[in-house]
Amino acid sequence: MQPFALNYARPAVELEATTPYVYDSGLQLNVLLDGRVAACDHALLRELGTTTSTAGSKTHFDD
Amino acid sequence: MTVLILTCEEDVTADMVVVHLNASGVPVVRLDPADLTGSVALSGEFVHGSFRGHLSSGGRLVSIGGLRSVWVRRPGTPAARAAAPSAWLTEESTQALYGMLRDCGARWMNHPDAARRARHKPWQLRLAQRCGLPVPATLITTFPRAAREFAERYPDLVVKPVSGTHPQDPPRAVPTSRVPPEADFSAVTLGPTLLQRRVAKRADVRLTVVGDRLLAARRATGAGPDTDEVDVRFDPSDEPWRPAEVPPRVAEAVRAYVREAELAYGAFDFAEDGDGTWWFLECNQSGQFGFVEVDTGQPIARAIAEWLARPGNEDPAPADDARSTAR
Repeated sequence: MQPFALNYARPAVELEATTPYVYDSGLQLNVLLDGRVAACDHALLRELGTTTSTAGSKTHFDD
Repeated sequence: MTVLILTCEEDVTADMVVVHLNASGVPVVRLDPADLTGSVALSGEFVHGSFRGHLSSGGRLVSIGGLRSVWVRRPGTPAARAAAPSAWLTEESTQALYGMLRDCGARWMNHPDAARRARHKPWQLRLAQRCGLPVPATLITTFPRAAREFAERYPDLVVKPVSGTHPQDPPRAVPTSRVPPEADFSAVTLGPTLLQRRVAKRADVRLTVVGDRLLAARRATGAGPDTDEVDVRFDPSDEPWRPAEVPPRVAEAVRAYVREAELAYGAFDFAEDGDGTWWFLECNQSGQFGFVEVDTGQPIARAIAEWLARPGNEDPAPADDARSTAR
């Protein structure tokens, strides 16, 4: 038996492995392979879901 | 004067704000406390009643006294990526970093004390009700009998984590979920359980507060008010978030909430019922906002950047943006 709420748990979805951008410490921004700033590509962000309420939940509980 | 952003590298939502700060020429230093004592370093000397010193990250050096604001966004655990991490080193690094920053005179979004208090859901519900927001009937218990009696009074219930955290061993998500009428509540004894009367909602509302600015977005419930998928974060519907107007009484109550909670930022979640009433569910003091901006075009990142960029400890300016939807 486990705590009641965990009866409703689901496997976590990992997003990190699929993000097509990397952090540029010089710019202090994440950039795409073609050099564009990832945050300016809203269509991409929508597609990836990296700005959604479940993103980052692995380490942070404020969604 | 510099804006200090404490967050992890992969936080692309923070990038949305950095872009605006860069465009306005405001100096930014972004660091992850997890990188203490590797690529992040600190030093401060207690002189004439305060700590004077510097932080460095990625070759950037900033004076602690030269900070205009601190944005605590998605910081990692201090020293988590140190060469020899330990609980002791984390505690030492936490106290050194946040202890000195408390002394710097910058404006916080949000101050750690306010943030810590604001995370407690029972506290949120009390404050929301006191500020005039409707709150669904709620029970937090480890007594199976109390859970059963609550379910008799409110047969249509949801269960959600008290803390909002997700178990990591193994990694799982615990969405807000409907509790079937025939549920066996005996496992309630194994962990505090939050049960809440389900609101038959026709929409979810995310109201983002930045200083005194309110930006609301609404997402219609795709599957109707009786859907089993009650947690909007896991709703597979393609229904987008759309800008929404904030009813005056809600706006007044929300402003009272953030004022009393001493929050500069808050992401409020409401369930809108069939009568149009916004039921308070929670206020995440560091809630995500990028997905709302991406769907609605509301200038949340710009509002945050403008709040962070303002000099000194001044009161928040009144809402002045046409798309700030408090009316």
